[in-house]
Amino acid sequence: MHEHIKQRIETVINNIDQLPSIPEVATKIINMVNDPDVSFKKIAEELSKDQAMTTNILKLCNSAFFSKGKEITSIDRAIVTLGLKEVKDIVMVVATKPILNKFVIGYDLGKGDLWKQGLVVGTIAKKIAILKGKKIIADTVFTGGIIHNIGKIILALYVQNTFKDIMNAVETKNITFNQAEQEIMGFNHQQVGEKILAKWNFPEILRMIVLYYNNPEEAPAETQMEVSIVHIANVLSLMSGIGVGSDGLFHEISPFAIKKIGLTEDELMEIFSKIPETLKQLKEIL
Amino acid sequence: MDNTLVNVGVAQLKNSASPTVLRTILGSCVGICIFDRIKKIGGLAHILLPNDTTNGIAIEKYADTAIPHLVNLLIKAGGKNENFSAKIVGGASMFKFQSSLSLGQIGERNIEETKSTLKKLNIPILEEDVGGSAGRVINFHLQDGHLKVKSAGNEKIYYKV
Repeated sequence: MHEHIKQRIETVINNIDQLPSIPEVATKIINMVNDPDVSFKKIAEELSKDQAMTTNILKLCNSAFFSKGKEITSIDRAIVTLGLKEVKDIVMVVATKPILNKFVIGYDLGKGDLWKQGLVVGTIAKKIAILKGKKIIADTVFTGGIIHNIGKIILALYVQNTFKDIMNAVETKNITFNQAEQEIMGFNHQQVGEKILAKWNFPEILRMIVLYYNNPEEAPAETQMEVSIVHIANVLSLMSGIGVGSDGLFHEISPFAIKKIGLTEDELMEIFSKIPETLKQLKEIL
Repeated sequence: MDNTLVNVGVAQLKNSASPTVLRTILGSCVGICIFDRIKKIGGLAHILLPNDTTNGIAIEKYADTAIPHLVNLLIKAGGKNENFSAKIVGGASMFKFQSSLSLGQIGERNIEETKSTLKKLNIPILEEDVGGSAGRVINFHLQDGHLKVKSAGNEKIYYKV
């Protein structure tokens, strides 16, 4: 364990100013959608206040990926046509892109790789939810998938400095990369990611997805379905080479997650084999 | 230098000539790099799965259909089968998985099918950097056919053509 690195990470995650920020409207919307008393009007008003964001939201509403055919020219129409949850998904895409669409040193991810992986994992997760008759959580796992790796942007610098020791721990102790992160640096990227979401006041379920996506069996019972779905989506993405960095495939496929979701081998293979088509669908919003 | 770099995505294949550099990122997929040492042309196929189950709807996705397709493209571009050689990369597996899970075996099966398809086409495999759990970023330089493989923080270069 590198004590000085652990202390430096501790300082960063306990200092709100050193963590990335997200537009306040994103936090508001993500919490409003979970509040049954909230009105469409209030949400549309809240969104329309931010002109740049509104422009980007409308662009996505009319993209092949989200569009339902009719042209959408206002937030009000977007909510009516696409539904509140879909609009929330779009807001999350717009709000998180500037944070995730970067080079990530240490993990050796080129510009855009982390962002692309987030979108792919979010999209696969949404497909799994719908496939297994859990449409009600499709929007949550989509957002969770997009941001599941967010801790990497903070931890990257420290991974770069300790990479050899982390890999050495993986190989000699037969532990996964994220377990080795914790062993060597005192923290893994999931824990750091959860701190970022806490700063943003994001809902508990998203924080649990970020914290446990690599070990869904340890997540609180009521969150295990969502966490398991993002876990599997991430595994499939890594296997297809999307989001693969210096940590490679030094991770685990959780049998618990497969069982929890009730995925058959055929379903897993089918989703995996359709990843190129999923990527094509996403091309417009990457 | 950058204008010669061509990215090859999942389940895509590209062929070109010197001085193009073909690049891709591999997990369990296998990258098949074929080079014609006389004509200085080559191609890279990035296959996702071993065997075509779609009756030719997505031939670039599968080892058993993508590799013959790439070879045909290279022959159309003036290459000759007897001058072709291959380097194969990728086919990693997740670090930990239940041995009964067929999803966990895709990397191995991709390597196996790649080798058997190349054998049927009489194309020798001169270098291979396969298996394990590392992801791999590869650059295939058509200037002289050398291949750069970056994995888990290390870089290796394979020169044989």
